[in-house]
Amino acid sequence: MRVLEAIFLVFINPLFYKITLTAATPLIFASLGGVYSEITGVVNIALEGIMLLGAFTSVVFTWLTGNVWIGVFMAVVSGVALAWFHAWGSIKWAGNQVVLGTALILIAQGITGFLMEPIFGKPGQTDFVGKVEELRIPGLADIPFLGKIIGETSPFVYMAFAAVAFSWWLIYKTKLGLRMRSVGENPEAADTLGINVYGIRYFGVLMSGVWAGLAGAYLSVGEVGHFRELMSGGRGFIALAAMILGNYNPVGAMLASLLFGASSAFANQMQSSSLIHVSATVKPLFDMIPFILTIIVVAGFVGKSHVPKADGVPYEKEA
Amino acid sequence: MKKVVFFFLLSILFASVFGFKVIMVTDIGGLGDGSFMDGTWSGIVKACRELGIEYDVIQSKEQSDYIPNLSKAAELADVVFAVGFLMSDAFYKVAEQYPGTYFVGIDFNNGQNLPNVMTFTFKEQEGSFLTGYLAAGMTKTGKVAIIGGIPIPPVQRYAIGFLAGVKAYNKLHGTNVEGKLVYANSFVDPKKGKELTHSLIGEGVDIIQQACGGTALGIIEAVKEENNRISNAKDLHELIDFLYENGGFYMLGGDVEQEWQAPGHILASAIKRVDVASYLGVVKAFNGDWTSGNVELGIKEEGEGISRMPYTKGLVPNKLLAEIEYLIKLVKEEKLIIPSTNEELEAFRIGKIEFPF
Repeated sequence: MRVLEAIFLVFINPLFYKITLTAATPLIFASLGGVYSEITGVVNIALEGIMLLGAFTSVVFTWLTGNVWIGVFMAVVSGVALAWFHAWGSIKWAGNQVVLGTALILIAQGITGFLMEPIFGKPGQTDFVGKVEELRIPGLADIPFLGKIIGETSPFVYMAFAAVAFSWWLIYKTKLGLRMRSVGENPEAADTLGINVYGIRYFGVLMSGVWAGLAGAYLSVGEVGHFRELMSGGRGFIALAAMILGNYNPVGAMLASLLFGASSAFANQMQSSSLIHVSATVKPLFDMIPFILTIIVVAGFVGKSHVPKADGVPYEKEA
Repeated sequence: MKKVVFFFLLSILFASVFGFKVIMVTDIGGLGDGSFMDGTWSGIVKACRELGIEYDVIQSKEQSDYIPNLSKAAELADVVFAVGFLMSDAFYKVAEQYPGTYFVGIDFNNGQNLPNVMTFTFKEQEGSFLTGYLAAGMTKTGKVAIIGGIPIPPVQRYAIGFLAGVKAYNKLHGTNVEGKLVYANSFVDPKKGKELTHSLIGEGVDIIQQACGGTALGIIEAVKEENNRISNAKDLHELIDFLYENGGFYMLGGDVEQEWQAPGHILASAIKRVDVASYLGVVKAFNGDWTSGNVELGIKEEGEGISRMPYTKGLVPNKLLAEIEYLIKLVKEEKLIIPSTNEELEAFRIGKIEFPF
């Protein structure tokens, strides 16, 4: 009974919902990146690497300029730069997209690790460089329950939801979105109709760099104001799972990210709860909840989900 | 071209014959954590500068790097340091293959006795016992917590000592302070550390001990946020004044004196003198008074302790500071044994301690 009581208390605690949102935010950004890239037919597992590079670049430029927003902007620039390599290799040269993505992750880990010493004079982690302050929305913050959840939180959280709305509109309501989807489904047909397949795919991959770069900036200057090597902690891969679970749709990816965020927040709350005593050996199991969910859900849903038909297949024009 | 290669190889050969060299191999935690790795490294650097020895470091990025990195180090150096519990298995495998090289392991010991191997382990429980006692005496909410990285033995000992410190305080003062233990399951995920800290503070915890390496950056940030929310302190003086009058939230550092990283927000640190261990390792290998086997460092050997609290000492009541000093004395005299396993913690009953004041 105490367990049920503890679970009940978690769900009526506004902090649980707030942590759900902040834990989901990097996943939302990164999974949006995945959506942009994959609906045009390019598998992008480099998200993890792009996030890490974004986290690093934002800290470097925040440190150099003293302005966090310049840092965030440069994270986006670096994300696009790394994504460009992916686009160049997989679209222009029709390389194996999974291999390229893996290579880019390793490159990002190498670059960030290597540059720590020359830039900050010490490896591992940086000192505090400054961070994006939480935004307090006057009227909203005073509402009893809701105010504690969304009244005062990082601006990135609001940006994430705005980005989802924007992406949904772009992909389902505009001509460009239709072209993106058609290129991912049947590039030959799209090409016949005069759509620039390569151009659209470049756009999709570069946009994934924008979003994953933002995700990285959120992790470093958005939350802690430091950079720590390998701090992306596998979130790029969880974001990929969220994208698949969300059926390659921005809104679906957001919902799946929220689910993963909630499971992580739930694990935190259960570990911290005073009501139940969880033995220390069992505690690491809590952190497996998101991954177990991923396996269950992906295995159960993958039959139903609609994968873009040309996803992962390089397009080569017939001569 | 061939000549160049030949001379290059020859020079390497000369270097390896004449120069005494120390190489440290890190685990995946890597240098720059501001605590464990950097502490060990500073001990090596200090010893090598004093003795005029060459030194270098190889950083591992993945678990699978351990064996190649250690083997490479063994071929180039006379003394190889392997730092971090996660390297234990690889360490003993490589040490067996290079009997002519000295191997020093920091933070692990599997009981295997090789003539060229010396290991250092710590009684982490003794340092964190002191911070646990301090936390229990300083909490305003009656709840304190420790955030561990991954549940490996050194981290578990940290946690057990901390909880034992809380227990001892409760017993001696008739209080009912609750000590919690949570795991972040990563040493390099500050975001996770921040989320956990907010969860704990939401549950009413006000003092949090870190035993999670780089993840602790997030704890510091969360504690700073919470303190800035309740106070409007513009500088350190105002913050300390505010904390003195109203109390606030604190992190307790681990391994080295971490206070400088966030003055005022870090109450104290449990000290683990890894630098003493690595210093000793270099000196013993160089001077030839090598003793194989394991050395365990605790309060008695000056390998464990509590930091000087440069910013926050004034916040702690003198009586509490004196009690901690007295406990240190008891541990040194072996009149007080700090538990190091869960069973011992369960059975831990601090006897009647008469403070002489």
